[in-house]
Amino acid sequence: MSTVLILAPVIISSWPAITAAVAGAATALGFVMNRTVQETLAGVQTEEGVENVEVELAESEVLAQSLATNQQIVLNKGSIRLVVERDARGRCKVCASSKGHSKAELKQVAEEFTQKLTQCFIYNKVMKELKGKNFQIVNEEVTQDQSIRINVRRWVD
Amino acid sequence: MAQHEVEISISKTGEVRVHVKNAKGKACLEYAKWLTHVIGKVKSQQATSEMYEPETKSRINLQQNLKTEDEAT
Repeated sequence: MSTVLILAPVIISSWPAITAAVAGAATALGFVMNRTVQETLAGVQTEEGVENVEVELAESEVLAQSLATNQQIVLNKGSIRLVVERDARGRCKVCASSKGHSKAELKQVAEEFTQKLTQCFIYNKVMKELKGKNFQIVNEEVTQDQSIRINVRRWVD
Repeated sequence: MAQHEVEISISKTGEVRVHVKNAKGKACLEYAKWLTHVIGKVKSQQATSEMYEPETKSRINLQQNLKTEDEAT
């Protein structure tokens, strides 16, 4: 009935909104958030045997006015470190590094994190917009394939 | 009073499926436009007949247009 849309997510947002999504993704995937400001990876990158992989969220833009210079979010899970930051083009970037993992493994971790980050960001944004339009949340669930399903309704004249 | 329903499914990759239910015509289009603006870019859209059933008056006009087109062909 009515219409069915398939939408590709686009993340254009301020840093605080992205930070909230990063926190959600970190919790879901078992990462611990260490710092939110001014971390540099210089020490890690120069350490021998440490692999680095960068994954960029292609359809993203972090609004510069909301971001202090060199602001980053650093997350850890075991020996894996993730750094979420805004790159030179304004896109959101996730850098995974570890001493005990291959590049392929790190790429998989970084991609999984960017996907969860995107899901969390869209969830937060959609819920905020739905509440702003006076929709009533009828049901909310996480399905077996890890999708988040939200059913809402609204009465209109 | 009419009840409009929307089912939103956010996949683990972030792709979103939106199903607007019980909203007809302009209202349905407005929901689709609004959610596209909120979420991102349209990859595909499937409309059903209900979307083209706005109000009685408009429906009549639509039927008249279809009839005219049939006669022309």
